[in-house]
Amino acid sequence: MPGKNMIEEIMNRPQPLPRVVPDYMRKRGGLWYWTGAMVMIAFLYEALTGIILLLFYSPASAYKSTTDFVADIPFGSVILTTHLYGAYAMIVLLYVHMLRSLFVGAYKRPREMQWLLGVLLLLLTIGVAYFGYSMVGDALAVNAEDVGKGIASGFPVIGWWLALVFFGSSPEQLYTRFLGWHIILAGAILILFAVHFFLAEYNTIMPRVDSEHGKAPHIDREDPSYKPWYPYNLLYMLQLTFLVIGLIIIIPSIVALIPNVPVLFSPFPQAAPGTAAAASLPPYPPWFLLFIYKELDFSLAAAWGPFWGSVVFLGAPLLYLAALPWLDRGDSLKMVHRKNTVAFGIMGIFYLAWLSLWGAVEPGIPIPTWEWLAFFFAVGLGVYLPTHFVLTRIERGTLKIGSPGRFALSLGMLALTSFGSGFLIMASLATGSATSTISMILLLMSMAISLTVAVAYLRGVLPLQIGQPEGRRLRGKTYTFIGSVYTFAGIAILGVMLAITPNSIYNNSLYGVGLGLLFLIAFGLLRLYRSFAYGE
Amino acid sequence: MSSRDSSEEPEDEGRRTFLKFLGALGVAAVSVGVLRGAVQNIIPRVQGSSSSGYPTLQLVLSSGSPVKTSDLVVNNPKIVLFNYPLLSDPNFLLRLGDSSNRDVAIDPATVKIPETGKTFTSPGGVGPYRSVVASSAICEHLGCKPPQLRFHPPSDSSFPGKLHCDCHGSTYDPYRGFAVVTGPTHKPQPNIVLKYDSSADTYSVVSMVGPTIFGQPSNLSGGTPFPSGAKSTTVTIQEAA
Repeated sequence: MPGKNMIEEIMNRPQPLPRVVPDYMRKRGGLWYWTGAMVMIAFLYEALTGIILLLFYSPASAYKSTTDFVADIPFGSVILTTHLYGAYAMIVLLYVHMLRSLFVGAYKRPREMQWLLGVLLLLLTIGVAYFGYSMVGDALAVNAEDVGKGIASGFPVIGWWLALVFFGSSPEQLYTRFLGWHIILAGAILILFAVHFFLAEYNTIMPRVDSEHGKAPHIDREDPSYKPWYPYNLLYMLQLTFLVIGLIIIIPSIVALIPNVPVLFSPFPQAAPGTAAAASLPPYPPWFLLFIYKELDFSLAAAWGPFWGSVVFLGAPLLYLAALPWLDRGDSLKMVHRKNTVAFGIMGIFYLAWLSLWGAVEPGIPIPTWEWLAFFFAVGLGVYLPTHFVLTRIERGTLKIGSPGRFALSLGMLALTSFGSGFLIMASLATGSATSTISMILLLMSMAISLTVAVAYLRGVLPLQIGQPEGRRLRGKTYTFIGSVYTFAGIAILGVMLAITPNSIYNNSLYGVGLGLLFLIAFGLLRLYRSFAYGE
Repeated sequence: MSSRDSSEEPEDEGRRTFLKFLGALGVAAVSVGVLRGAVQNIIPRVQGSSSSGYPTLQLVLSSGSPVKTSDLVVNNPKIVLFNYPLLSDPNFLLRLGDSSNRDVAIDPATVKIPETGKTFTSPGGVGPYRSVVASSAICEHLGCKPPQLRFHPPSDSSFPGKLHCDCHGSTYDPYRGFAVVTGPTHKPQPNIVLKYDSSADTYSVVSMVGPTIFGQPSNLSGGTPFPSGAKSTTVTIQEAA
């Protein structure tokens, strides 16, 4: 049991590391228990590719060394584009990890410190991503540098000092500083993560909420039935690693093969600053900062300066998150007893998504006071009231959701598709290309389907979940067959890959696609083996 | 695990070993793929002695057509500039002549760098009359640019046939590798190496010799580079005013 003095407890009674975990964490749906591990895998991938990039990056000619690396060095484009998309993956997974912890109430005691460190890690990750993005030295990076400098120098009293510390005093120092801070922040993340991880081991995993009565402190009491770490968890972690890295490699490699990818998602450096091509680039930050850029367009931020704008629009949510364990002190982990936290969580998702979308469509266009106030008010109320309505109904028992997991999934799909189609509606209004119109229609269709499914779950039309089927096992011959097909495909892909000459971005990207497939095949083989040998 | 039949045990064991083998093969395939990529990637590119990182750019007019010898005026009183090796580095393009505006062949010369005492060999003139030379247009003394630093034709009353900087009075001799004539500068102007294609009558810039361009850590860094894949640099003409 966590005692009064946590440091004393940790130091004097070290916990077993790594802890064994219940079987359901390695079965279907168990992925939700490993969102933190997936963030870490993405971070490790970043560290490894970052070290390779460090061998080539030259702050004195940031842009040239980057574009040369992409164009001239064998597999350079694969490493740079996957480093970028690995960062994207890390940020997305971090949000997923945070939101899951928020919705299941993992921030409650005894995990307050773990949660607080997590919020800090979010800030650091956005910081490290900002510096990494700016290191390219293209027109977008210069734009990002201007905004960052504006925010830093607006800090009262020490603003000039901050701007000098982070950005150097001359253009020659700029990229040396960027490189330095990129590495320093990555190191800070590693250290804080170690503490975060150790606390997680100390506080035990957060068990299924329905397994007990759902009251904090919700900790896992180890059971002799738990299987040992080796080989069960080790193979599972390996499988997870192959999945995450496979996706990190294959997605940007496919994107790299597609012509005319929109600037926001292009995996390549953009035009050099001061060139004619740079003038036609929209003033975009990286997509994960779009929401801040948009907020800086609001009349309030324009009047008070970018620093105070960021304090209000970025600092306040972060402060709320940091203070959450102390704001929501109730014992219950059930969502119906945490209506405000849940409502604010959903609100946060909507604000983040819509502000980003707004920033993508209208970058840098000033927004008058009434407009942004109306936006915050409408979205806030539009989320708050229905959430309360639904949660109250569930609490009273007048509303029953058959399978909450699937319902939540269909809601997530709904959010994603409505967001995507909103984006494409605006895009096709602006440019009206056939591709965006077609994808818009497709997305609208899938949005309608997710809406129907969500409503069906809500009304109990779709069958309720009747217990989790025990790890579905196939027949022995099927395992041999699928495994052989996977392996054969893998070896064939490897053969093609070894024949590729890495002399163009196209060839590099093909290699990347092949490598991503190999990772996914290895993932599949491990999954198969675990299913066969352990019934997991 | 529970559903496994004990009668299937021997067959299952073999199958398990086989699946294990397949899994190991899959992981091995990943390792080979990663290793090949990583190993081939981290080998640094060996720089060819001729290229050494300088881009080769053709000189073109603002219309986009290549510069011909006839586009260049002997002893042009106007300032003819092009950017190289970075987009932010202006350079003089000079067709040198005598006082009666006849082309003068420029021989390679040994140029001394007073600051260090070292020397370098200037590339000499190119073109049909070996009279076309080029140098950085950023003064090595304190970085003044045209029109403060400009070429005075041999017919000029002041500084005839010299590069002179109005800021602090440094003077360079374009006929002898832009060597220092008078201070306060301690360095000659960096020379641009040109290449002339006599069959097409076109000019390209291939590299530089001499000191480093003023204010830059190296000639190839510290400014705005050309977009990757650039093939030409545009010649602009401004009045000496």
